[in-house]
Amino acid sequence: MKKILFTTVLLCILLSSVLFSSTTLRMIQVFSSPERTKIIENIIDKFEAANPGVTVELISPPYETAVSKVNIMMSNEEPLDIVEVSDWLLSGLVSMGSLENMERYITHSEQAKYWVDGVVEAARTVDDTAYIMPNAIYVKTLFYRPDILEKYNIVGAPRSMGEMMAICQYITNGKDQYGFTYRGIDPVNFMDLVLCSFFDDIDPACMYKTASGKIIFEDSRALEGLKFYLDLYHKTSPKDSISWGFDEQVNSFVSGLTPILIQDPDTTALLNYLLTNGVYKTAPLPVGPGGKVYPTFGFGGWGIPSYSKNKDMAWKFIEFFNLPENAAYFCKQYGALPVDSRIYDQDPYFSSEVFAGWAEMFADPETYQITAYPIDNEVWGEWFRFQGDIQERLLMNRMTPEKALQEFTQFWKDAGI
Amino acid sequence: MSVRVKKAISKTLKGLALGLYLAFALAPILWIFITSIKPPEDIYTFPIKYWTQKPSFEAYRYLFGFANFSRYFRNSLFVTFFASIVSTFFALFSGYALSRFPFKGKGILMIFLFFTQMIPAYLLMIPQFQMFSSLKLTNNLFGIIIIYIGLGATFSTIMAKGFFDRIPVSMEEAALIDGCNRVGVLFRITVPLLLPGLAAIFSFSFVNNWNELFTAALFLDSDSKMTVPVALYSFISKAGIQWNVLGAGIIVALVPTMIVFFFAQKYIVAGLTQGAVKE
Amino acid sequence: MALFIPTFSVIGFLTIYPTVRGFILSFQNYTVFNIRRIRFIGLQNYEKVINSGDFGLILWNTFLWIFFSVLFQMLLGLGLALLMRKPFKGRGIYTGFVFYPWALSGFAIGLIWRWLFDGSFGIINDILIRLGFIETGIGFFSDPTLAMLAVIIVNIWYGIPFFAIMILAALQGIPKDVYESAWMDGANPINSFFKVTLPYIRPVLVNTILLRVIWVMNFPDIIYAMTRGGPAKATEILSVYMINIVFYENNNFSKASAVGVIIISLLMVFTTFYYLISNTKKMEM
Repeated sequence: MKKILFTTVLLCILLSSVLFSSTTLRMIQVFSSPERTKIIENIIDKFEAANPGVTVELISPPYETAVSKVNIMMSNEEPLDIVEVSDWLLSGLVSMGSLENMERYITHSEQAKYWVDGVVEAARTVDDTAYIMPNAIYVKTLFYRPDILEKYNIVGAPRSMGEMMAICQYITNGKDQYGFTYRGIDPVNFMDLVLCSFFDDIDPACMYKTASGKIIFEDSRALEGLKFYLDLYHKTSPKDSISWGFDEQVNSFVSGLTPILIQDPDTTALLNYLLTNGVYKTAPLPVGPGGKVYPTFGFGGWGIPSYSKNKDMAWKFIEFFNLPENAAYFCKQYGALPVDSRIYDQDPYFSSEVFAGWAEMFADPETYQITAYPIDNEVWGEWFRFQGDIQERLLMNRMTPEKALQEFTQFWKDAGI
Repeated sequence: MSVRVKKAISKTLKGLALGLYLAFALAPILWIFITSIKPPEDIYTFPIKYWTQKPSFEAYRYLFGFANFSRYFRNSLFVTFFASIVSTFFALFSGYALSRFPFKGKGILMIFLFFTQMIPAYLLMIPQFQMFSSLKLTNNLFGIIIIYIGLGATFSTIMAKGFFDRIPVSMEEAALIDGCNRVGVLFRITVPLLLPGLAAIFSFSFVNNWNELFTAALFLDSDSKMTVPVALYSFISKAGIQWNVLGAGIIVALVPTMIVFFFAQKYIVAGLTQGAVKE
Repeated sequence: MALFIPTFSVIGFLTIYPTVRGFILSFQNYTVFNIRRIRFIGLQNYEKVINSGDFGLILWNTFLWIFFSVLFQMLLGLGLALLMRKPFKGRGIYTGFVFYPWALSGFAIGLIWRWLFDGSFGIINDILIRLGFIETGIGFFSDPTLAMLAVIIVNIWYGIPFFAIMILAALQGIPKDVYESAWMDGANPINSFFKVTLPYIRPVLVNTILLRVIWVMNFPDIIYAMTRGGPAKATEILSVYMINIVFYENNNFSKASAVGVIIISLLMVFTTFYYLISNTKKMEM
């Protein structure tokens, strides 16, 4: 009798440990904010409900230290199963050998059929192999304040760079009204965007090269573009904007001090919170003298550490996250652009006014050529500090634009693009 | 000028100076407090608003509700108290030894202690992380406590030695002759005299541990283990700074340190003078 | 001797061992990209740092930062302590309010003051404009000198309490009869300050200053939160440079460690000279 009881109990324990074996996935995001954490946790709850026995632990380090933390954790092989990888972080992690090759997952994925153009290429940026599954794309657009511009009898957004400069100069009075929201700290993307608009033959695969293979900084049009960009600072932006980061840009835009802003889509979430509906609008980026403009293509995605013990389950979560209903929820709340093209058609948000700028740009890829950065180059991490330093010197008149362009050219020549 | 007038003038000047300094010291925190009760749209306005028509404690509610601040608060209290108390104890022992026992190489030991003060914390962080990672001590509040004890050890010891130096050995000698052993002497005679000094060491340790940011941000992962400084840092995201909530957080985070301060400051000022009279 | 074990084992484990590791790191090429092929590269990191062209500026900034911060923290702290020395109504509460800056985290302080000094949204400019001293907002962070001035002011604001507490304590220890006899000999307040007060507090001053120099050197939080070392490295000091290397140069911990070693070396040299010059009993608090 005792024996039977004992064996039964033992069997029950064994069975239950098999049936209820639980997996814990550890997941880390790099663009944390309390709201974003909540959004992701809601998606996690849904996933856990659909997959009993699996728990997902979300790690949300403060934004400014997140990238360093991911690097350090992964180089020490701290237990992680899902890592959010921003485009700038990608090549570093791949070099560390920390990211799992995702090709086998992606090629068998149903969702891959519906991805927006450029997403798969983006995933394959490094070594032509997919190491991440993109979860959002970031393309900059023009934000403007119709209410402020109206005070000066200006209707609608500037369509060209020249127009933008004229408008901004017109309304700038040097005291309490300026035009352009300049970005002083970490200016990569912003400077390039304006500078490149003076070209019309940029290589879609590399922002810093023309279609014929030349480095753009050697071209005379770059000088024009750079001077124009510096003029935007000197003539239409507060002097202090030399030290403005995202925060100051948004605040200036919200307060009306500078009614013209070029920024990423995730700005919309913040603006929706700070401004009432309709107070701000988006428009396509102004085109340059060449009739074109080259919005940058930024992306972020989920990767799986090569040393993870739960790779298949991790991929299951990633796919779940990218299901249209979840991705739409994530992108709308957070403000990024989804990678799944179905969402653009299905969700009314993406045909709303807030989205107008992007809608127009996506509809006209000739004029608005979305271009990639050479992020797979090892020096990318140093580049934006380098560019930022030089910009500061330019703005303080400690360096001539000609010299700056020489420095840029030399930098990229040394990097071998 | 008569002495009375002179005195009156000097008193007024003194009051003016003290008042000015108070304004200078308080201005930033007053601004932050006002920010914390403003609605978001009133925070960054042009021209600047010094007050708002719609003050509310919404930010504080958000802090403790949505942002779960009480959890971080508890973690910080736990870590800080634990680390500071242990730290003070360790300092008590080593300070005592350094002060009372003459031995060769004491000077070198002191120089060594001073040397460790010069090491930048950031230099230590990566090797420490590697060590703790291999010991599986990351994402662990006790791991953080250990590191904090290490960070504060040197200064606490130097301070403790200083305090011990001021207490005349004669009292201890008398007790020793009467038959007490060393430890007994330490605790029955010296420590009560040293209490003010200990309060100073503790509160100093407390402030440093409470505000420590970068180590905690690196070593702690789980939300359930976060400490206050990291939580505050999290209000700075790619999408900007939530100033009203951050402001509320800064104000709330000040409360424990101020409480410790208030209790300790009586001791600190009184304690540091101990024995100085004899010099 | 057993009494030493807790403290020194903690220091050995948590401070010395990592420092040695950091020291070794500085001779390697540990960056995010090189993790799989770390090797020794000798003094290259040090060369890169010293030959970077900005090194002179960074050293100069570091000197300015330390010199002016500590000087004014001390002077103003001394002044405050002298003012607070005699008991007055509400002194206890006043003490608490006036010393609270010390209780704030450096990072929070940097963030707050950054806002206060902002060219368009800061109350400092606003007040100056309203009082009529200036017409439009001063861009503190767009001018190298003003930026340095701003961060130093903030550091002074932060450090006064520490000096004030230390000096106040020392002042209270001066026996009253010394003053009385000086007064009877006909000394006036200024005389008695220099001849009586100062000598008594000198040991405390000397050691507090040294301690503050060491801490201020290793205190990048305020600068980092306010300017990141900008504009154009105008406020970058050695410890801020160290952080910037980690964040902006592919997590190049080796190069950052090299800067850390340079910091330690400079401090050691300084301390040696300091004690030779001041010639007081060592480490007396």
